[in-house]
Amino acid sequence: MIALVDVNNFYASCEALFEPSLAGKPLVVLSNNDGCVVARSAEAKALGIKMGDPWFQLRADAKRWRLEKRSSNYQLYADLSERVMLLLARHARGQEVYSIDECFLLPPHGTPEEQVRWARRLKATVARNIGLPVSIGIASSKTRAKIATECAKKLPATGGVVHWDQAPEGYWDRLMEALPVTEVWGIAGRLAKRLEAMGIETTADLRDADPVAIRHKFSVVQMRTVLELNGFPAIPVEDEVATKAQILVSRSFPDPIWDPEIVGQAVAEFAQRASRRLRKEGEVAGRFTVFASTSPHRPGPAHNVSAHVRLAVPTNEPGPLVAAARSALVPKLMHGMSYMRAGILCMDLALEGAVPVLPGVLEQPAQIGELIDAVNRRFGTGTLALGRIGTHSPAPWANHQADLSPRYTTDWSELRSVS
Amino acid sequence: MRHSVPLTIDRPVLVSAVLVRVPAGFPSPAQDSFDDGRIDLNEVLIRDVTSTFIFRVTGDSMEGIGIYSGDEVLVDRSLTPKHGSVVIAVLDGDFTIKTLHVHPDRVVLHPENPAYPNVEVPSLSTLHIWGVVVYGIRHINQRKLH
Repeated sequence: MIALVDVNNFYASCEALFEPSLAGKPLVVLSNNDGCVVARSAEAKALGIKMGDPWFQLRADAKRWRLEKRSSNYQLYADLSERVMLLLARHARGQEVYSIDECFLLPPHGTPEEQVRWARRLKATVARNIGLPVSIGIASSKTRAKIATECAKKLPATGGVVHWDQAPEGYWDRLMEALPVTEVWGIAGRLAKRLEAMGIETTADLRDADPVAIRHKFSVVQMRTVLELNGFPAIPVEDEVATKAQILVSRSFPDPIWDPEIVGQAVAEFAQRASRRLRKEGEVAGRFTVFASTSPHRPGPAHNVSAHVRLAVPTNEPGPLVAAARSALVPKLMHGMSYMRAGILCMDLALEGAVPVLPGVLEQPAQIGELIDAVNRRFGTGTLALGRIGTHSPAPWANHQADLSPRYTTDWSELRSVS
Repeated sequence: MRHSVPLTIDRPVLVSAVLVRVPAGFPSPAQDSFDDGRIDLNEVLIRDVTSTFIFRVTGDSMEGIGIYSGDEVLVDRSLTPKHGSVVIAVLDGDFTIKTLHVHPDRVVLHPENPAYPNVEVPSLSTLHIWGVVVYGIRHINQRKLH
């Protein structure tokens, strides 16, 4: 059996943990630049607020609804996530961290009753030790565990724990017949449209599809989903999740940027963030894509640019990354375009040192990344940087985060105060 | 005992000398026991990293037990609060640090400073114990932290 543990309304719950007065209130957490909703408390969901709703559409009603909003506080969420994952790992035979707020666990062997008892204890331990609510679904496959967890979350009578084998006779059949195929783990977008075109509209349709035919029409990935819906574990729990395949740093600008040079400066900063993330993971990138685009929602001419760069030497050093990103992107930008978004996507990631480079054949970049990290750790982020971001005047592309809560658990100067 | 093996070489090789400082005298007896590293305050003060949080105290309501304004306190959520525990409590949505007094008929949040009145908790349902305070960090000859 496989258990899926999912923190309920993760970001909203993190905010409420250090601001108890938020409990029971409708709360939304907004994306970078406070653009749109990325998390909602139960009360905000009840108001009909959807994921991705832009804040400017909610603003008019916010007061009447007593809707609270917070900017994304990723330091806080990352710390609390790590605590949850550490705690869960202690109580399972195996763990695969699937996302910031979800992980698969191998529960102890035993009867469904014993596994449910284990899950309820686990849920209570997370609630007490960390203060976050979780839902747990247990089933014979990951895909089924996902469905069970949704039930645990949506049906209060379950007490937040659902075991597939304990549901009443025929329950899952009826549910799957009602559940659109888009709700199945891993089925979305174009894939869902193609399935629907074949008459596979509900989860039950997909479960009853011929797995071999699905493999021919789609791929082995979708065939596994069919098997998993039938209760055969076809997607193993990966104790050691493979290193991330890509690192993306991109932002929407709070205001349009008309000057290609300034877009280039923004990309220089994003490249340095990507480089820092690479160093943190102990990885190097072999190639990357830089891009900038105008907004599809704004009138005026549209311009989407991207450039692909293969690095002669895979690296995580900011120097070569920044230089290559700027020189690849800036000449392609046009004056008079209102760019609203830019970013860098690093690919071909490999562990540092895993890619052999002959010494002296190619010029090695000076190793300054670690030094910049050390200086910034000691004197604050942005003390030392390449390009025009070390200055303290806020950059035109900098985040607008009007309602950022303090970094209660990761910054000594921002601890929660109590009297 | 190691036996010496005669060195035979069938072609000329370049031998480079490696200079290594060989310390004379006794090896430091401290080296063996230092392998465990310095005292790590995290290990000493934190029983469980997943459930321990740090709060900063403002105000003088707990001076009687040596928690002063500006001190930090380590809070362990995994401990069960008892009568006499110093706790972080949530009362009507606000955080407060007090000593928990549990009487058969009532619960009191007790400030450790006679200048402040006891806070009688009208019913258990409005009180939430967020965590138990396990250590206080007192600043003496304060140096600037960041």
